[in-house]
Amino acid sequence: MTKSSIPLGLVFSRSGPYAMMGREMEKSALMAVDEVNQSDEFDFTFTAHLRDPGGIVPAYHSACDDLIRQERVGHIVGCYTSASRKQVIPIVERTERLLWHPARYEGFESSDNVIYVGAAPNHTVVPLVRHMLEHIASDVFCVGSNYVWTWETNRVLREIVTSAGGRILAERLLELGETAVDHIVKEIIERKPPAVFNTLVGESSYVFMRALHEASVRAGLSIPTLSCSLCEPELKLIGPAASVGCITSSAYFESIEEKENRAFVARWKARHGTDSHVSVDGQSTYVCVMLLARAIRRAGSADVAAVRRAAANHRYDSPQGPIWVDPDNNHCFLTPRLARSAPGCQFRVFWEAHAPERPDPYLSNLDPASAGQKLDKGGDAAMKQPNHLRLVK
Amino acid sequence: MTRSSPFSVRGRHALMVMKDEREIPIVRRQLHRLGMSVTELDPEQAIAPDVPVDVIILDADSIPIKSDTAPTSGINAPVIALIGTETPSRLKWLLDLRPASFLIKPLRSAGLYTALVVAFDCAQRRSEEAAYLEKLEDRVRARRLVFAAVLQLMRAHALSEEDAFTLIRQTAMRHRTTIEQLSAEIIATGGMPNRSSRTA
Repeated sequence: MTKSSIPLGLVFSRSGPYAMMGREMEKSALMAVDEVNQSDEFDFTFTAHLRDPGGIVPAYHSACDDLIRQERVGHIVGCYTSASRKQVIPIVERTERLLWHPARYEGFESSDNVIYVGAAPNHTVVPLVRHMLEHIASDVFCVGSNYVWTWETNRVLREIVTSAGGRILAERLLELGETAVDHIVKEIIERKPPAVFNTLVGESSYVFMRALHEASVRAGLSIPTLSCSLCEPELKLIGPAASVGCITSSAYFESIEEKENRAFVARWKARHGTDSHVSVDGQSTYVCVMLLARAIRRAGSADVAAVRRAAANHRYDSPQGPIWVDPDNNHCFLTPRLARSAPGCQFRVFWEAHAPERPDPYLSNLDPASAGQKLDKGGDAAMKQPNHLRLVK
Repeated sequence: MTRSSPFSVRGRHALMVMKDEREIPIVRRQLHRLGMSVTELDPEQAIAPDVPVDVIILDADSIPIKSDTAPTSGINAPVIALIGTETPSRLKWLLDLRPASFLIKPLRSAGLYTALVVAFDCAQRRSEEAAYLEKLEDRVRARRLVFAAVLQLMRAHALSEEDAFTLIRQTAMRHRTTIEQLSAEIIATGGMPNRSSRTA
């Protein structure tokens, strides 16, 4: 039996400032495509059409325009930054296509032509800040890259922290890609804040974490650091000493002890080498392709409207656990987790929500005053949706 | 002050502070259709051009929130904000610019005229309100003078406060001057000024 072929656009920057993440995501997409194509569970195959916008913002628009006009794709998996996604939205809306977006982002968007598979802000920054207030400190020093992710994450942080009576001790921003971090590290060592909240991305973050670690060791200090974006391949880039001990909020860690994840990681390592690591965005890209394949199977067609309907509320037991699209806002129900980075480029998960949490891209269910309460008790009051929490060993 | 209609946009000058290569031609073309002239400014350039500007069309996403310099900060013209990112952190930054109207990106040819009319009307109302406010502030400042003039007349002519004020008000009307100005003259001359013609 010959299976029908469905063209699929993959738009990832294999070059440019965030090439490392682009390559991880593309590898994961291609792995999912191969699995779908080899599986008897699907009566179709994907033909992947790859485009590399090189991290150049307007190039995302032309890449998608080309995929839609030339390759006739109905579905595109890709983008990483919000700036790139906002380039693509007009064209997928105008031509009634679907963009499957893997990366977490800062929220405040909800397009009918985007399926947001990455975490919404209620999945990432909110549980992290609650944990910080309950277990670490109410005063925090912020350092981040000067762009929308930092601005918005810090705003949410500030609202919750100040509602709880805490203080933002400083907010230091570096231009994207900037690696001159010494002045910030010096200030941190001098002021000894009880916690550092890091929203730097890419090379800026790696250089900062190494410099802060060295300076802390010299000064005999141990300052807790928190992140909403750190992932396993980055721990490897940061190095064995400086990458340990960062408290990180994410929907996915390679170390999740679910059977779907153990099998997924084994397949990944068989394909990419035993010393390679899966990242949250890589896993999420895999989930994008799988959610799409399952929706096409359910709809019996790759037609965008039919696929969107079929994807809604359709549960998939993914490596990160059960996940499904909330048709109210096209974002995903998923399970927030907190972990501490450990030796061997791994994270040890120490908290996860009891069940997948409803996505809240506009944080309209967040009450900063009650969000500042305890994570595993009164914190529930901050969510209209019941948020049963459990501690994991 | 002549009140120009917000609907007549021909001949007005717009400053475009935009970066997006696809949106710039849309705005430029539409402004020319409307008979407006245009100056274009790179958002990363911190120097405002030395031309009279009637409206600023500013791509809000093109300037970092934490930047020290906004290229349009010195120009007194209504701002039309072009919005792509609806995060509260970005919107808070935008509110500080007091936008007169806005458009959501991606832009189309439709919508810009409405945004211009709303912006011009808003600017007109703001300037009228500012003038009215200034007048009220002058009157508040002059209240001390009026009170002093009332006291003086009460003492000099053994009048009640109400009668003294009525006298000032009626005299001011007769002389076609303001209560405040007449009060200043009463204090300066030590009594009700003796004149019959209109005060300048």
